[in-house]
Amino acid sequence: MCGIAGLHLKDDTYRDRLGAMVAGMLRGVAERGPDSAGVAIHSDGLEVLKAVGDPLAFAARIGLATRSGVRALAHTRMATESAVTAAHCHPFAVRPPEPARGTAAGQASAAAATPVDTRLCLVHNGSFANHASIRRRLADEGVTTETDNDSEVAARYLAARLAAGDDLAAALRRLTATFDGFFTLAVTTADSFAVVRDPIACKPAIIAETDRWVAMVSEYRALLGLPGLADAAVFEPEPEEVYLWAS
Amino acid sequence: MPHPDTIDGPNPWPADKRYPPHHTFGPPVIAEIRERAELGRYPIRGWGARRAVPDFDDLLLLTASASRYPLEGYRERCDTRTVLGARRAARPVVLDIPITIAGMSFGSLSAPAKEALGRAASLVGTSTTTGDGGMTPEERSASTTLVYQCLPSRYGFNPVDLRAADAVEIVLGQGAKPGGGGMLLGQKVGARVAGMRTLPEGVDQRSASRHPDWTGPDDLKIKIEEIREVTDWQVPVYVKIGATRVDHDVRLAVAAGADVVVVDGMQGGTGATQDAFIEHTGIPTLAAVRLAAEALADLRLTGDVGLIISGGVRTGADVAKALALGADAVSLGVAPLVALGCNAPTYRRLAARTDGAGGSGGPGDEPAAAFAGVEVDVTTEYAALGTAAGHCTHCHTGRCPVGVTTQDDELAARLDPELGAHRVANYLRALAMETAMLARACGKSDVHRLEPEDLVALTVEAAAMAGVPLAGTDWIPGR
Repeated sequence: MCGIAGLHLKDDTYRDRLGAMVAGMLRGVAERGPDSAGVAIHSDGLEVLKAVGDPLAFAARIGLATRSGVRALAHTRMATESAVTAAHCHPFAVRPPEPARGTAAGQASAAAATPVDTRLCLVHNGSFANHASIRRRLADEGVTTETDNDSEVAARYLAARLAAGDDLAAALRRLTATFDGFFTLAVTTADSFAVVRDPIACKPAIIAETDRWVAMVSEYRALLGLPGLADAAVFEPEPEEVYLWAS
Repeated sequence: MPHPDTIDGPNPWPADKRYPPHHTFGPPVIAEIRERAELGRYPIRGWGARRAVPDFDDLLLLTASASRYPLEGYRERCDTRTVLGARRAARPVVLDIPITIAGMSFGSLSAPAKEALGRAASLVGTSTTTGDGGMTPEERSASTTLVYQCLPSRYGFNPVDLRAADAVEIVLGQGAKPGGGGMLLGQKVGARVAGMRTLPEGVDQRSASRHPDWTGPDDLKIKIEEIREVTDWQVPVYVKIGATRVDHDVRLAVAAGADVVVVDGMQGGTGATQDAFIEHTGIPTLAAVRLAAEALADLRLTGDVGLIISGGVRTGADVAKALALGADAVSLGVAPLVALGCNAPTYRRLAARTDGAGGSGGPGDEPAAAFAGVEVDVTTEYAALGTAAGHCTHCHTGRCPVGVTTQDDELAARLDPELGAHRVANYLRALAMETAMLARACGKSDVHRLEPEDLVALTVEAAAMAGVPLAGTDWIPGR
């Protein structure tokens, strides 16, 4: 039970206004998740901030409206089965596990040697029904979780799939085939923004897209105030379909 | 003998209430001692443990409410498809439901019973299993997926039938009698049974308790390779164990090359075994399934090596709980026999087949109206065996009043294989529906996604055995 918002800029027009746009979106979903809140902001690097308590107070405290960037996720949480702590807040930002030494993927990543933050960020509205088994399978592969939160398992799963060679769309399709439960997920990486919903798609999701940005929110009202909204294509994402934008 | 009055006056209690029942030497114990004293032998019977042991009834499912969401029963998918033995076999066993029929011999069961079980399994897309004494042509032709048992006795075991099988199950033991061999009393060794086993008619048969070709997992590995060569690596090899030292035995079965491990708990049935075995050996299915699942998990083979559990599975709730504890499928023996008519007070003499011969070769899935007939009361025949419908475990006598566990032609003819198949198929379908219903209520789109975290236990004992918390707590005894 949560509110989620994601924003991906297609060009630099609104780069300095990204924080203000996301702050408005967060306000629109704040009532869905009064326990705690968090944001992930991709600019030159990746900044992930989370706190327990009122989402609007959190946004004000971190000066969300003044921040710039190219891509962001915001989340307001109503906890289901795991504790309300900062560690349990979304977004879950997870670095893909290192490929084994000596493998082609391992050599490629060593050769690239770029300073890009490789963390994948995930926000989730809903709850998973078989995360305990998936958590055990990941642990068998050496992928451990830091919390007992179900959404963290999804983030770890996606990161592990990326490390195994899947692209983000393929990893998300695999997730929908593997995870039971109800979910709308928004995911960002250093260059992509993606949205996917479970086969029943009963958790709300609205996407609005213009030439300059694409936004995803849990409630229509969270879109109000976005520049150029009147000309945006607004639609509800289809179940099990992966929507992905890459810069 | 009347109890003396107390010092305070006449005893106020009626005579039959004056003594509490004696626990150690109660009336059934006294009767057993007297029987042994009279006859100089031990009791033999069919079925599994009669005593109460912790079982699936001691577990409850935590279905969805606010923190999780259930799936709709009538329009949202919940898969029951089950694949076994895909690790090495070119043709893994693919079943529509995670519920299979266990190995029961032709000899212990009548030919119509074996045929009915095969037809029923085929109707619902699952497998059935041969037993001691080999494969009958009726059973092979009736069964889409037939598991061929390789038993210590070697009765009826041959390479022709081996190559005709869809999977091979090497039987190390059985839950009703782990460490013991099979038993078929002389009254059930008719001409056909004797012929298949190359043994004399009418003489008690005691099957071996261990196979002469192996004495441990090292030799078993060689036997399994031999079977793979004979079957050209086409079909999975199962290894069935009676549940005792489950952790060790599952690991050794895997080390020997099993594609599927079948673990039979102490409630698992038998056609005939010493009562001392049935009640006093092995561990409950509830404990066995979790031990086996954890052994496979520790080997990182969950899902790669299949786990089938058996022993006292009766309902879809039992199936759901077994899957949640880590089984990939369950296997049923006694319950399908009951569905066939075992322990019923009557059998149905079909109007269309008054000769009772049955086996007309039809598909066996006709509506119930096609099986109209007269219910023939057999309660006096149960009484003649010293039992009653609903209490009978007299499979060993071969005098089954409903034609299920007999080799007597007249009794066997009371079981119509088509009607039997219809009943068993109905029963298995109902179980599969119940299983999927409970899985949906837990929010699962596949019954195999049930997990231990979906369970709690009603008793401390069940919590410790199944490794799930006592209801209302987060306490798992011993963990």
